[in-house]
Amino acid sequence: MTATLGEAFGAVRATSPHRPGGRKAPRQKLTRRRKVEARWFWLFISPWLIGFVGFLLGPMIASVYISLTEWDSFTPPQFVGFDNYTQALTQDPIFWKALGNTFFYALISVPLGLVIGVWLANLLNKKVRGRKFFRTFIYLPTLVPLVATAMVFKMVLAPSGPLNDLLGVVGIQGPDWLLDPTWVKPALIVLSAWGAGGATVLLLSAMNGIPKEFYEAAEIDGAGPIRQFWSITFPQITPIIFFNLIMGLIGAFQIFGQVYILTSGGPDNASMMMVPLLFREAFSFYHFGYASAIAWLLFLVIIAFTIIAFRTSKKWVFYETEVR
Amino acid sequence: MSTKRSIGVRAGTAAIAALSIAALTACSSGGGDADSASGGTTTLKMTVWGGDVDKKSYQERIDLFEASQDDIKIELQLIPGEQYEQKVQTMIAGGDGPDIMQVAEGVNVYSSKNQIIPLDELAADAGLDLEERFGPVGTLYSYEDSVYAIPDRSGAMIVYYNKDMFDAAGVEYPNADWTWQDAQAAMEKLTVPDQQWGYAGAGWWAQWWSFAYQNGGQIIDEDGQPTANSPEVVEALQWANDLTHKYGVVPTAAQYADMGPDMGGDPAFAAQKVAMNTTGFWAINSLLDVDFNWDIAPMWQGQEQAVSAFGSGLAISRDSKNAEEAFEAIDFLTDAEAQAVIIKNAQDVPANLEVQQSEDFLKPAWATREVNMAAFGESSSFVFRSPLIPEWNEMQAAFDDNLGTFWNEGGDAKTQLDTIQKKLETIIKPAS
Repeated sequence: MTATLGEAFGAVRATSPHRPGGRKAPRQKLTRRRKVEARWFWLFISPWLIGFVGFLLGPMIASVYISLTEWDSFTPPQFVGFDNYTQALTQDPIFWKALGNTFFYALISVPLGLVIGVWLANLLNKKVRGRKFFRTFIYLPTLVPLVATAMVFKMVLAPSGPLNDLLGVVGIQGPDWLLDPTWVKPALIVLSAWGAGGATVLLLSAMNGIPKEFYEAAEIDGAGPIRQFWSITFPQITPIIFFNLIMGLIGAFQIFGQVYILTSGGPDNASMMMVPLLFREAFSFYHFGYASAIAWLLFLVIIAFTIIAFRTSKKWVFYETEVR
Repeated sequence: MSTKRSIGVRAGTAAIAALSIAALTACSSGGGDADSASGGTTTLKMTVWGGDVDKKSYQERIDLFEASQDDIKIELQLIPGEQYEQKVQTMIAGGDGPDIMQVAEGVNVYSSKNQIIPLDELAADAGLDLEERFGPVGTLYSYEDSVYAIPDRSGAMIVYYNKDMFDAAGVEYPNADWTWQDAQAAMEKLTVPDQQWGYAGAGWWAQWWSFAYQNGGQIIDEDGQPTANSPEVVEALQWANDLTHKYGVVPTAAQYADMGPDMGGDPAFAAQKVAMNTTGFWAINSLLDVDFNWDIAPMWQGQEQAVSAFGSGLAISRDSKNAEEAFEAIDFLTDAEAQAVIIKNAQDVPANLEVQQSEDFLKPAWATREVNMAAFGESSSFVFRSPLIPEWNEMQAAFDDNLGTFWNEGGDAKTQLDTIQKKLETIIKPAS
């Protein structure tokens, strides 16, 4: 949706009479009515603008400065240059561990969530009995508050809990999930898959929007259901998959609540992620400068991944409007 | 996309908070001061943490104080435990710290940064003798030879034991003369594999540090240097861990997790899964209605007697414009009359010795059964002094970060403590 929004803006720009280079767009031609309109524009946009500058832009700029200082929030900040960054990158094994854990989590949970989401959406798109019931049911987990979900998962993931009982039925000896350094991250991924229904709803509506003619034509040409999926459904929903990918990546890199409630980063930091780490540094250890530096490093990581995703998107994301 | 931006902001939250609170106070301070001055009364802000019982107790004590004089009023703010440190920190960072604040192990985060004021002079002026009123814990909340908080609640860790289980196994009840060997022998007799365990375990710092100090070890020595990997500490930690993984008399983490979410020693004891549990006063409340027989006893001993204590004190923040009034309030709140409320509501152990030795405490009205309340007083003579260093939270994290797998799966205490010692050496700035 981000991409489609961007396109929408592009379209506006393209048709705007004020576009740069448009010769006949003299500024003084702002009529009285337009002036009034402009005034109203600023009036209506101001709540957002004030909020943005005061609560987003201001703190962002402040946190750049704070990241260059040593600050305990009580005494005045001491400027230390890039010490916080070098400390994180060269001297703090926990930072690298948390970064590694976050990568592991994001790079598995996001694709997994998408695969499950597409699969569920495709199933729900079939004309089956109780379709509406299933749709509601699959979206339901997304509505349960995270804290409640995490508490339930604490029981589900217990060493002799329901999940391991289930694995036992098929002859697998389940691990101690949250207590085992190797299995605690997969456990968090299992928890993330539980919320895949959120993506399903978006994907499903995208699937519903695909013109029936495509399928009719394909059927006449003798395409089976699998071919139809890969040649029609999938290309048509790639913009929504792309949107979910970007939002999923951002969300996964910022994972906090699940870790905070389920493991607090343990055992032995095996589930420590970036945001819980910076939270701990700031609010438990009173290292605000260092925490801000971690925040900005995380920002760089997220923006890098987003850029990569956007760059590669040209190869696989299909926009009908771009077809000439 | 705004979510992406907000990540950079997260740590800057304090900055906004600081800015906006500063702005707000700048706008409102004129009015506020005029308000409190006009009536001739001073209103103090007091922050505490806890739940309903705590709120009730603090409020009742404040009511007593307000009834005793006309000039000072106290506005109580109860903040849930997990958020307390952050909230108070934000308040102080914004220049709007509470007049009176409850502090505990984290006291020296504030004192080392001059965010709370030394109280020695105020105490001397008020004629308050800390030793006389509180005994050895009187100067617990000190930093560099100045007292920064007046003890308010203070109780040693004690042994809760299930009398029915002890009787059934034919084991003598625990007492302060028990050695590690006696304790372990009892635990072994009280354990029924996969059903019942002799002891709830010592994975919490307050528990295994008690063993370490009993063994003659220290986490931080007198000079403020970490000594976490000394042979005495290693031996104590190894024993604490072996009780679970070698002798099987303590439930493993996996066995606890199977009992239910957030299961630990206290609920396991109440559910009759373990025969002994070492914890603070607070467990009494949840045990008043259980249908089995239990009692409490002072902690057993090692080479020497030692046990940790829990408590909290009251401090005055640097932002308080009414330090003298605040101290007057603290003086009253920690005096016998107000402290008696703490025990009346079964909230905690009052720090005031006079109240600790009173009939009200030894035979509390709420006790539905005979409880050996003297265990607290008996323990107070051998409470070890926890190293309340300014880097307390970081020190705890250093232990947690390196003992997780050790507690869950067993392991070698020496290896873990060597790693922890190295980490502590980087955290704790050498005394200059």
